[in-house]
Amino acid sequence: MAEAHQESSGSGDFDLSQFYQIFFEEAGENLDLMEQMLLNMDLETADDEELNGIFRCAHSVKGGAATFGFTDVAELTHQMESLLDKLRRHELQPNAMMVDVLLESADISRSLLARHQAGEAGEPPSSADLVRRISELASGATPAVSTPVPAPASAPVAAPAPAVVVAAAETPTVKGERQLEIRMGPLERLDQVDPVKDLFRDIAGLGEIVDLPSDQPNFRVFKVGTSSSNEDLLDLFAFHVAREHVVIRDLGEEADSTPASVTWADDPPPDAPLAPAPGFGFFDGAPGAPGAAKTVASAAAAEPRGTAKAGGKAAAAPLAQPEAATIRVAINKVDQLINLVGELVITQAMLAQNSRALDPAMNQQLLAGLADLDRNTRDLQESVMSIRMIPMSIVFSRFPRMLRDLASKLGKKVDFVTQGEATELDKGLVEKITDPLTHLVRNSCDHGIEMPEDRLAKGKPETGTITLSAAHQGGSIVIEVRDDGRGLNREKILSKARERGLDVSDQMSDADVWQLIFAPGFSTADVVTDVSGRGVGMDVVKKNIAALNGTVEIDSAEGYGMRVSVRLPLTLAIMDGMSVGVGDEVYILPLSSVVESFQVKPDAVSTVGQGSQLVKVRDEYMPVIELEKVFQVPRFDSEKSSDIMVVVEAEGSRVALLVDELLGQQQVVVKNLETNYRKVPNVSGATILGDGKVALILDTSALVRRSRH
Amino acid sequence: MDVMEKTDEVASVGAREYLTFRLDQEEYGIDILKVQEIRGYERPTRLANAPEFIKGVVNLRGTIVPIVDMRLKFKCVKAEYNDFTVVIILNLRSRIVGIVVDSVSDVMELPADNIKAAPEIDSVIDSSAVMGLGSVGERMLILLDIEKLMSGLDMGLVSGEE
Repeated sequence: MAEAHQESSGSGDFDLSQFYQIFFEEAGENLDLMEQMLLNMDLETADDEELNGIFRCAHSVKGGAATFGFTDVAELTHQMESLLDKLRRHELQPNAMMVDVLLESADISRSLLARHQAGEAGEPPSSADLVRRISELASGATPAVSTPVPAPASAPVAAPAPAVVVAAAETPTVKGERQLEIRMGPLERLDQVDPVKDLFRDIAGLGEIVDLPSDQPNFRVFKVGTSSSNEDLLDLFAFHVAREHVVIRDLGEEADSTPASVTWADDPPPDAPLAPAPGFGFFDGAPGAPGAAKTVASAAAAEPRGTAKAGGKAAAAPLAQPEAATIRVAINKVDQLINLVGELVITQAMLAQNSRALDPAMNQQLLAGLADLDRNTRDLQESVMSIRMIPMSIVFSRFPRMLRDLASKLGKKVDFVTQGEATELDKGLVEKITDPLTHLVRNSCDHGIEMPEDRLAKGKPETGTITLSAAHQGGSIVIEVRDDGRGLNREKILSKARERGLDVSDQMSDADVWQLIFAPGFSTADVVTDVSGRGVGMDVVKKNIAALNGTVEIDSAEGYGMRVSVRLPLTLAIMDGMSVGVGDEVYILPLSSVVESFQVKPDAVSTVGQGSQLVKVRDEYMPVIELEKVFQVPRFDSEKSSDIMVVVEAEGSRVALLVDELLGQQQVVVKNLETNYRKVPNVSGATILGDGKVALILDTSALVRRSRH
Repeated sequence: MDVMEKTDEVASVGAREYLTFRLDQEEYGIDILKVQEIRGYERPTRLANAPEFIKGVVNLRGTIVPIVDMRLKFKCVKAEYNDFTVVIILNLRSRIVGIVVDSVSDVMELPADNIKAAPEIDSVIDSSAVMGLGSVGERMLILLDIEKLMSGLDMGLVSGEE
């Protein structure tokens, strides 16, 4: 990594912190949207579109949280995503319990985010219990917390369990040692998990493990005191017992400081609602205890909302201050503002024009006022424009940190190169392009770039390169994500597509095959990681970009890498333009493509084959394009003729445009002609000049192509 | 048959309001709900390689709007541009278009009974874009389905691929 950021997520890296706010806003929107969709979803008839939509919300939040290093949020949303993934693949049927748990998770995610936003102040709301319940639901089991409370006395151990879990959920997890109840089963042989106990004996610092009596014959239950994460424990146990057969439950602090665990293990109370009674005295001093007691007295099934509220309350206070930092305004309001200011500028120009004839001595005050108006309108226009326009660097600078973390997590070596950071893009576009780009860059790193040893074996440099570039091209902005990794495997994609029942044939062109990876749920990754591989990325990318009227193209060579080009229309991109006059008309050339201009002597132009004209510029011959002819400009003044050449460069070649005069340079707002009209050849868009007239912006790429034919 | 269906459609919605305008000696009516505003003619920016009746584009408060001269489209004898020349800005389903006409007369409500199917005649106007003929006293009003007329390929406002 060229630019490595060493800061931890909490300390607020200077560059990154400006994106936190964007992320918090986006995540909040995604969570709101997900909540809305969950609430509107009809469990019986939930269609793929809805489930995919909910899934994408969780996926986006997870992606962002992982980028910014909010691991608790990423972990929780990862679990949500796993559950939702099974739902959308129809491996599980959605039920009310899942919706409850997901809504609750959204609430907790929100409070976790609010806590990060407030600078990590206060205790984090506990998500461990939720993570467990989601994974249980995802594995098809029914979590204990949702069991209706009035359990028969014949199931003594199962009945009080909700009470203990509730207590855990109410209490913020304290870092350090945790008390866990671990259930393993169903097991073929009970002694199968004995090696797990040996693990705790053999690995120093892992913690303690104690046998607890099991309520079912083929289950083993342990009480474990440890400071390791659930994930680490599961990894350790995986050698002896399958992951899905292990259920870890956080007993929380109280459970440890009171004989609660003993109570429910050795001396089961006869009736569930009475369960906390013996322990009530012990809970008195503990924070959150009254809440626990109250909830248990009511139905445990109603509990999830209670937990959520507790989490929300804790977050409410620190959330208060950052709220005033920004306001979110609908794009169309900004557009309206821009248009109105444009009108104002034109009116102002007209007033200035008319006032020139006035006698300065007689109208001193009026003229002074007009001068003020001039200055103020210009400032106003600049400020209004700046609301929408931001350079691509704002998007690009999100990535070095993300890639660094990602690369080190995957054990890969990656260099990140950016080009064209100064390209200015409409804020609306920037906001919408960020998510797709994040997915593309993650994909490149996860799937594209090979492990260092594989790269060396293939004779490539050990360090892979991911390039992100932005450029104006023709009437579009093209953003490219390139990597020099393994590229796409045609056979693998085709066989995956057949597996999924897509209509494919071996005769399909490469381009058509690459397009297959945009199908929802399509992934060629062998392992689903929390980075990527669920096949959600590309379908989101395609959907988001299509919503912007853009296109995605893939270019790939197996073994050499792949390139994803995102082409977006310049709906409101700002551009530095050079205005040129031809006859009575004004045309705008993109300044970025203008190389030079000069007055031409008639003898410098020579013809080839009685048609094409060439001009010699410093030992180089280049084709001449007469704008007057291309645009059929009517000539009223036969005296005047074009004698100025403007050399433009596009797509790697140069042509000389013949014009009458150079009028000046200015920033222009690119307007789309196709909104109300159709595509005009050789024109990429239009803009409005200071006098309110429309001027066409030339498509230099098209002109260069024209000269080749 | 086609025309009959269209008159039925008009009849079913009852009386509608029409904006009437003049092209040479003929009087036309269009659904008032499609009209966004009426403004004076200003010289548009010419578009190269466009049909003669597309005068160009103008700036309508920040929006680029193409201008079609109906007099040229309908092959009127003369098309003058003076202080009385009027542009009707239409807000069609997906786009905003301005049409140049000689003058705007008025807005009138026309009960369905007063609308007769147009006979099949040879005309420069695509007959499917004529909704019918309205009679107001002695005057005859040609009622245009302006949406259909403007989205026709021969108008050149939309590209063929769409």
